[in-house]
Amino acid sequence: MAAIWRNALREALRSGWRLCGNKFPSPLQTHTGFLLPVVAGSQSITNLPRLVPETYLSRPPWPELPAIDHVEEAKRHQAVVQKVNTILTSREYGRLFAVVHFASRQWKVTNEDLIIIENHIDVECGERIRLEKVLLAGGEDFTLIGRPLLSRDLVRVEATVIEKTESWPRVEMWFRKRHRYQRKRIIIQPQTVLRINTVEIAPNLL
Amino acid sequence: MTSRGTPSRFLQSVLQNGLGRYVCQLKRISLIFSKKSPSSRGVREFIEEGVVDFAKKNPGTVVYVSPQSCTTPKIVAEYLNGNVREEAVHSKAAQEVAALVQKLSEQSGLDVIRIRKPFHTNSPSIQGQWHPFTNRPPSIGPVQPRKTPQ
Repeated sequence: MAAIWRNALREALRSGWRLCGNKFPSPLQTHTGFLLPVVAGSQSITNLPRLVPETYLSRPPWPELPAIDHVEEAKRHQAVVQKVNTILTSREYGRLFAVVHFASRQWKVTNEDLIIIENHIDVECGERIRLEKVLLAGGEDFTLIGRPLLSRDLVRVEATVIEKTESWPRVEMWFRKRHRYQRKRIIIQPQTVLRINTVEIAPNLL
Repeated sequence: MTSRGTPSRFLQSVLQNGLGRYVCQLKRISLIFSKKSPSSRGVREFIEEGVVDFAKKNPGTVVYVSPQSCTTPKIVAEYLNGNVREEAVHSKAAQEVAALVQKLSEQSGLDVIRIRKPFHTNSPSIQGQWHPFTNRPPSIGPVQPRKTPQ
C-alpha cells in the first residue's frame, strides 16, 4: 500500500517537472525500472535492437582486438623484469641517463653533464646534492619509467654545485612612440651551475 | 627586445671542475682602498670585520689588502683561467662589499654573457637518435609502397 502511494507521489512529481522542462524520461520507463529487478533491466537493455543502422560508420574500421589475458600479461611482465634485473646485476648497461625534475623543469641528464638553474639554491659551492625527483631512468637497452616518480631506493642522481653566478644583464625597455614615455629596467638573475656526478640504478626491481 | 646581436657562449666549466673534486676558481683578490677618503669607508669596515674570516674560509684564495691614495676604491679578482675582473666599490656599505666578495669567490671567471642553452652534455643520446622506424615491431614487415586498391 505504501509502495503504491509512493509511486503515485512520484508520478505527480514527475508530471510537475515535465511542465517545467521536457528533458526527463517518460513516466512509463521510470515505472518499469522501479518495479523490475536490476538484472532484468540490464537484459532488456542488451536485447534492445540497434538504433544505428549497419553502415560503414556504425563500427570502427579496425578489427576487434581480443580481450587482454591478464595471466599472459603478468608472465610477460615478469620476463621483462627478469631481463632488466640481469642487465642491472651484470652491469652491462653502458652509460645511464635519467630525467629529473628540478627547479620546476625536467632535465635529461647523464654523468658529467652541466645544467644551469635560474636561481640560487641554499647550498655552498662544492657541496654535493641529490636530485630525488627522478621521472625516468634508462640505459642502452632498457628504460624505467616512473608512475610518476621512481623510488628513492632504486635510482640515485647526484650533482655538485660548481658555480653560483649571475645572468648577463637583460635590458627590458618599454617605449610608446609619440607619447614621451619610456621605461628601462635591467634584470640580473641569480644562476647556479650544477655538475651531474652520478646516475646509478640499484638492481632491486620488482 | 631581441638579444641576437649580443655576445654569447655555451654553458661550460673550467677544466671539468666538479668532476673529481671542486676547486674554487678565484685565485687572487685585492682590495684597493684609501685610508682617508669617505668613499672607501665601507671597504675599511669590511677589512676590519670580515676579511680575515673570508681568508680563513677560502684557503685557496690569496687576499691582498692594499691602501693607496685612490679616489674610487675597487676590488680586483683574478681567476684560475686568467680572467681579471675589476669591480668599483665607490661608497658602498660593508655588507655590500662582503656580498660582492662572496659573489666573486663563487664565480668561475668565465665571461658573464648570454648563455645559449641551459645545459651541456658530451653524450647527447644514449639509446640512439630517434628515427621514424624506432620501436617498429618486425611483425609489420619491411617498409614498402602502399598497394593500390584494385
